[in-house]
Amino acid sequence: MAAIEIEGLSKSFGSVHAVRDLSFQVQAGRVTGFLGPNGAGKSTTLRMLLGLVHSDRGSATFAGRTYEQLEHPSAQVGAVLEEASFHPGRSGRNHLRVLAAAGGHPRERVDEVLRVVDLEGSAGRRVKGYSMGMRQRLAIAAALLGDPQALILDEPANGLDPPGIRWMRELLRSEAARGRAVLVSSHLLAEVAQSVDDLVVISHGELRASGPLEQVVGAAEGQVTRVRSQDDERLAGLLRERGITVHADPSGALLAPGAPPELVGEVAAEHRVPLVELGVAARSLEDVFLELTSDEP
Amino acid sequence: MTPLLTAELLKLRTTRTFAALTAVAVGLSVLITVLVSILTEPERDTVLTDVFTTDTSGFFIMILAIVGITGEWRHRTITSSLLAMPDRLRFLAAKTLAFAAAGVVLSLTIAVAVAIAGFTILTIRDLPTPGFGDWIAQVGRNAIVAALLGGLGVGLGGLIRNQVVAVVGILVIGFALDPAVAALAPEVGRFSPFGALPTAASDIPAEDAGLPEDMDLFSPIAAIGLMLAWIALFFSMAVVLLRQRDVE
Repeated sequence: MAAIEIEGLSKSFGSVHAVRDLSFQVQAGRVTGFLGPNGAGKSTTLRMLLGLVHSDRGSATFAGRTYEQLEHPSAQVGAVLEEASFHPGRSGRNHLRVLAAAGGHPRERVDEVLRVVDLEGSAGRRVKGYSMGMRQRLAIAAALLGDPQALILDEPANGLDPPGIRWMRELLRSEAARGRAVLVSSHLLAEVAQSVDDLVVISHGELRASGPLEQVVGAAEGQVTRVRSQDDERLAGLLRERGITVHADPSGALLAPGAPPELVGEVAAEHRVPLVELGVAARSLEDVFLELTSDEP
Repeated sequence: MTPLLTAELLKLRTTRTFAALTAVAVGLSVLITVLVSILTEPERDTVLTDVFTTDTSGFFIMILAIVGITGEWRHRTITSSLLAMPDRLRFLAAKTLAFAAAGVVLSLTIAVAVAIAGFTILTIRDLPTPGFGDWIAQVGRNAIVAALLGGLGVGLGGLIRNQVVAVVGILVIGFALDPAVAALAPEVGRFSPFGALPTAASDIPAEDAGLPEDMDLFSPIAAIGLMLAWIALFFSMAVVLLRQRDVE
């Protein structure tokens, strides 16, 4: 059974369809990136998963149980949502003490998680004096209070400086290594590419792709062959005669989407065009993300 | 329920609002007691209600409760609260109990401060003081009323998310609408959970609480029962509303 399972989830706000028939799974021991442009429905999906927003249809469960059905929710699921949720007049330590009391966690856990997020020195200060990065660390500390089996993080790198982002990446990896299921939404695609095992991409509230990172990146719109020769203009003409789409990239090399390198090499060899370079073009997660999310639903 | 109640009481204790309003409530109650003790000459039969019913805890705990529940939306702490306790009925029940308990604490604090000021001044002026048993009974009634108004405040605040609208609204009701209804239609006003019922539950004469002399107040027990009915009504409406709301 998947650690987190979203099945046919839908939600509308008036005439706006925020999420439509969305289904995907998150496995224990893996970090799953949840990507989509602004307004794609990521936050709404996460809030439905956490029982904060009511779905119109479908289900969102943790090992088969909805968030409301979990006996000790904060001991099973830790969440960091995009918008900070603190009383500005309360200190960081007292914020965690309140949550620890509500979740039935021992008081010692407060100091433990403060150490984990490196906020011990500022824990006595009121939250309104915290920087954005400190608030984000406090939110992460709150999510870790119950040492949960699943972590849901909505834009967790917001406000973190580069060392903080690296710390966050290592935290996600270490939680997954401990067998936790980690679902993380982010706009930082380069960061996601370094952190996640699996990917879920949504746009306009609908699923566009899901699966292991390499599979999603490799599968989008097939293979693109990159080729350079001693006579690119002639080679481009020969490839087009064979029905292969060709265009030049900014560096001047030819790109042939959908054509395997073997076919391109064969055309060049037949007409004795000396090649300088032939291979599969490396595609970034950003390229794939834009391809998957650019079209209208 | 105990962890939730602990968390709600901790929320109250860890912001300055509760301490500040408690200080104002105690200060105001003592000030009224001092002025009444110095400027009037209460008789043995009326000294208890004249001097020792200046407890403002009911008003302040209701304001605190409204600020407490609407503050969850204002500061968006409702998200972390409902993540810790997704059962919204239990969340609201814990908050209601916490403010009822806070009302009792506030009322007892005021009772001690008022007693020190009142007994001291009356003794110095060689005026009669109430019997200890009567005073204790009055303190008990005041504490019950404070608890009830704390619970009522959570129910009322649960209906309105906007903190300013909720606080201004209750001030308008308490200081304008409710007295107007009491004056124009005392047979309706006697059911009010803001003026007539707390007065009746405290066993204070109508005229001492600024209500029309001819208002037929309920007995303390009946008034407490009616207050509980109001709390149940507002609490139920707040639960239904909270369960329907999306926390975006």
